[in-house]
Amino acid sequence: MEAIQGEAIRLSDVWVAYSGSGRPAIREINLKIDYNSLILITGPNGAGKTTLIETCLGLLKPIRGEVFLLGVNTKSRKIIKVRRKCSYVPQDFMKPPYESYTAKHVIKLGLATDMCLFGLSDLEIKRRILNVAKMLQIEDLLDRPIGTLSGGQQQKVYIARALVREPKVLFLDEPFSSIDEESRYVIAKVIHEYVHQKKACALVVSHDVDPIIDLSDIIVHMDNGKITNVEVN
Amino acid sequence: MLEVAAIASLLSGGLCGLLGYYAQRFNIATLSFSVAHAALAGASLALVIKSDVTYSALVFAILFALGMGIISTRISPHERELISMGFFSLFNAIAIFMVYMSTSYVLSTVSISVVLWGSVLAITKSKLILLAGITAIFMLYLFIFKPQIDSILFDRKLAKAEGVDVDLHTIVLLLFIGIAIAFALRLTGGFLVFTLLYNPVASAMQLVRKAQWQQVLAPTIGMLAALLGLTFSYILDWPVGATIAIISSTILMVAYITRTIINMKLSREARRAQISRGR
Ligand SMILES: Nc1ncnc2c1ncn2[C@@H]1O[C@H](COP(=O)(O)OP(=O)(O)O)[C@@H](O)[C@H]1O
Ligand SMILES: [Mg+2]
Repeated sequence: MEAIQGEAIRLSDVWVAYSGSGRPAIREINLKIDYNSLILITGPNGAGKTTLIETCLGLLKPIRGEVFLLGVNTKSRKIIKVRRKCSYVPQDFMKPPYESYTAKHVIKLGLATDMCLFGLSDLEIKRRILNVAKMLQIEDLLDRPIGTLSGGQQQKVYIARALVREPKVLFLDEPFSSIDEESRYVIAKVIHEYVHQKKACALVVSHDVDPIIDLSDIIVHMDNGKITNVEVN
Repeated sequence: MLEVAAIASLLSGGLCGLLGYYAQRFNIATLSFSVAHAALAGASLALVIKSDVTYSALVFAILFALGMGIISTRISPHERELISMGFFSLFNAIAIFMVYMSTSYVLSTVSISVVLWGSVLAITKSKLILLAGITAIFMLYLFIFKPQIDSILFDRKLAKAEGVDVDLHTIVLLLFIGIAIAFALRLTGGFLVFTLLYNPVASAMQLVRKAQWQQVLAPTIGMLAALLGLTFSYILDWPVGATIAIISSTILMVAYITRTIINMKLSREARRAQISRGR
């Protein structure tokens, strides 16, 4: 099957199983995601939401079906380069107290693949980091070691790292799980604006009570490894 | 001659200590041990086919590192451990087998001591220059790819998701380990060379928790153990490799005991604080 221009992600009849586990974690997944859209993925624990995201990124390979990310089959080695245009905020993100990278450094690590000999200039890197820190209201955290931050604060740092890369595709796995109500609105708005300004797309795993629900274009419901319902908002 | 040996011990100890740190952080410690023993098998083969011990070790280590590096990108970490341990035993067996098959003439040369217990005499100037060269290239590699490597050390999965070629960097690290081991083997002997990879970083991890400090401390301890080992072996006329291993293992024990004492003190203080708060 060929990838189609203008599609950010396409999954056709995708099944994924973890090695050593007989039961597929997700199955019969068909999904097509366009640019300029914010997708919300909801469902109970164990529904396969994290598995779906990692499959889109090619971190997990399907046992059946095919996955195209930005037009490239995730089975191809080219996927490594394609991932440079994507960002990921993983679900389990907490770092221990002795992890001494500062928040600023953690955000900067998001630019690692752009920092080769002829990559971004130091000035540009600084500008971008300050810019996202301002948007997410974490300027005062930048010089603190990441391990000393609270869960919610660490989560904001990871979201900043995701945005500083200026990606075409954003994968956010329960990015609000530790973040307080008030900040959720701010961040949801930032993500929504980013997506539409850059004509990017975002897949956000979240509970459907979150403020981001009103801003999302499509809501995908998952249960027991399958997509059970797709709603257009 | 002694200066050459001293510099070689500092370089081997430092380089292996640093490589050991990265091997730990990349979760390929077991695999790096089997790479070290691939070098041993290669070195011992040289006894029978009568070639240069280091180059034979180099070929074995590089081929095995490349092969396992590529295979291990396709298998689970658990399977990788399993295969590594299998080869670990196999390579030891090959080494013993080759020593058994060697002629009595070979058994009286310096080559055999390289395989078994290491030798100060085995370190020539040209080998030293090659060791310095590989150290310089590894430092250059760390410098050029610092952002990507830092990203992998911070969070391997996230680095991969962001397009850092984690598998490639793992293979490159394994290659450096193979090459460094093939040279360091002359000093320590093939059976003990992996202690230079493991003991320094394990000691560093006992003594400090911050990764940045471990990264500095591991090669420092490696250099210290190698230099002290060389000195003692010279004074006491002990086999140099075994002496280095004894010293680095002693450092590890001391580090472990220090850590345990500190932990006990901390938990006692915490308990006391809790009791006084309880009142
Ligand atoms: N590393 C793993 N190994 C084996 N099974 C896993 C692993 N991760 C998740 N699973 C299983 O896959 C299914 C989907 O998990 P996941 O994608 O994490 O769900 P969700 O993110 O929706 O909570 C669950 O049944 C879970 O037990
Ligand atoms: Mg999940």
